[in-house]
Amino acid sequence: MLSRILAIARKELVDASRDRRTLTMTIVSAALAGPIFLMLIFNLIASQADKSRDVKLAVVAAERAPALIDYLKRQQVTITVAPADYEAKIRAGDLDAALLIDENFARDVADGRAGSVQLVFDRSRDRAQAAIGEAEALLRGYNRLWGQQRLLLRGIAPTVGNPLDLREVNVATPRQSGALVLFLVAFYGLLAAIVGGMAFALEATAGERERASLEPLLMTPASTLEIATGKWLSLAIFVLLIVFITIGGFYLTLAFAPLPSVGVPFLFSARDVLRFMAVLLPLVALMPAILLWLGSRGRSIREAQANTQLLLFVMTLVPAAQMFLQRKEPDWLLYVPVSAQYVLLNRVLRGDALATIDLLQAALVPLLLTAAAIWAFARTWSREAVLAGK
Amino acid sequence: MIAIDALAKAFGAKRDVRAVDSVSMTAADGAITGVLGPNGAGKTTLLRMLATLIVPDGGHATVDGHDIVRERDQVRRSIGVLSDARGLYPRLTARENIAYFGTLHGVPDAVMRERADALLAALNLDALADRRVQGFSQGEKMKVAIARALIHDPPVIMLDEPTNGLDIMSVRALREQLRALRAAGKCLLFSSHVMQEVVALCDRIVILGHGRVVAQGTAAELVAQSGAATLEDAFVTLLGSGEGLAA
Repeated sequence: MLSRILAIARKELVDASRDRRTLTMTIVSAALAGPIFLMLIFNLIASQADKSRDVKLAVVAAERAPALIDYLKRQQVTITVAPADYEAKIRAGDLDAALLIDENFARDVADGRAGSVQLVFDRSRDRAQAAIGEAEALLRGYNRLWGQQRLLLRGIAPTVGNPLDLREVNVATPRQSGALVLFLVAFYGLLAAIVGGMAFALEATAGERERASLEPLLMTPASTLEIATGKWLSLAIFVLLIVFITIGGFYLTLAFAPLPSVGVPFLFSARDVLRFMAVLLPLVALMPAILLWLGSRGRSIREAQANTQLLLFVMTLVPAAQMFLQRKEPDWLLYVPVSAQYVLLNRVLRGDALATIDLLQAALVPLLLTAAAIWAFARTWSREAVLAGK
Repeated sequence: MIAIDALAKAFGAKRDVRAVDSVSMTAADGAITGVLGPNGAGKTTLLRMLATLIVPDGGHATVDGHDIVRERDQVRRSIGVLSDARGLYPRLTARENIAYFGTLHGVPDAVMRERADALLAALNLDALADRRVQGFSQGEKMKVAIARALIHDPPVIMLDEPTNGLDIMSVRALREQLRALRAAGKCLLFSSHVMQEVVALCDRIVILGHGRVVAQGTAAELVAQSGAATLEDAFVTLLGSGEGLAA
């Protein structure tokens, strides 16, 4: 049984490796996805003007620095009173940043010393990046303004104290700049798992029917379950390769290309590539199984293609919807295929720890579905109707 | 040896299309049995039942002593089939196409090489053995498909219209090959809608029409049975018309 499964898998891999055109297209598009889309995104970000700002700042002891608070309010910052457990809330992602004003602020200022404030944030939260950057810029702006006013009072031109005219252009589109890059890496990793094997899955299923090689194959002692398993094995190996190339493309682009800084504290190490692969492994198993099952239901490649369109649509919509919803993910999401992987990929990108239990939890449903899809594929091909029509 | 007893298969939502309607016949070892019938007579359905691809609605059949419903695996191991669908894998070479099926049949690698070489030589395919079948002519593809069906040296061989698309030289080579297999004691079932083909090769002829056996016997017996002067007249008389039967 095993020898037949391996023989089928080997034949499919040899067959696929000789389909030079499809192979080249698949590999090239997988490898170029990272570089091209990162370039496009960085370009987009750079060309975007600073549009709508919507900065909220939680302040501890606002009454200690009324002038500063007034300044912030004039800059359309919504000032709120920070909750007592603001540190925990920031860690949990419920609060973007908090401003802490030192109790000696007024006295220090009056005595001619610098007044001390603390900006508390979690740099690894992609959703908070824009707010953090905005708050920092505003505080620096206040500092500069205040200093200039003091110089003016002493009859000194502001340029004396500020020989360098540094103007920051905030290239961040509201909130999304960092998130968008992260989203792309995660999204393309997922997409590679789906699209990478599509052409070959259809070739190995609907293609068998289209060129009338299925009937002879079904007459051999190989059972449909062995055929299905063998084909799945070969495709899973292939998809694993494609996903690796895609992620590798992003890794190399981010590691070596001279990309403009977009304020993303972006670290994507070789270790992260492996963690990415670990997260995506259940999908590398699942997608080929589903594609083969869908392909087996088509009499021709063209017919099967229509079946796969819906899969592609749903699978790509899920992470996109998740990104734009921007909510904290509920716990049960880790049981939902694709969604779970997207959540975990984001954790990797944020530098959070990846718990083994979470990986297993996210793998559970995809692996069960993989077995179910292989079984369904085998069943489709054991029906007599599969022989009808070429 | 193939023994068929009242085998039946109907298709359609109401099971009203009786493709094979109670067929009884035998095909002996060391003989070539021809199944002759016009298109739509039920030849392909009969073959698919014997190859365990579809399950009969009624009747029984054994192939090499194995029941086609209860002992599917044994039946599959003992048959070599050239079916109506005979597609190859275009990106694999002739030899790889043949070896793939050999492996699925459990043929050991050492034996495979030898047998494949012998088959390729017998079918005049040696020169093309290691070329991809992508560019092969219809006849060359057919020969590869025949070799693929024989790679596991099965005791029972079923061929559905094996001469379709072959030129006259190839047809003669194929006949030679089939006679050699007969001499080796194989049971050969040969289906065709071409009368001359069947007459030239077969020891016994079974005439199929509308899913039923119309007549069976040797060529001489069929002529006597129908009371016609020539074999061709005999077929027309037995089938009721010569429709669908190529001259």
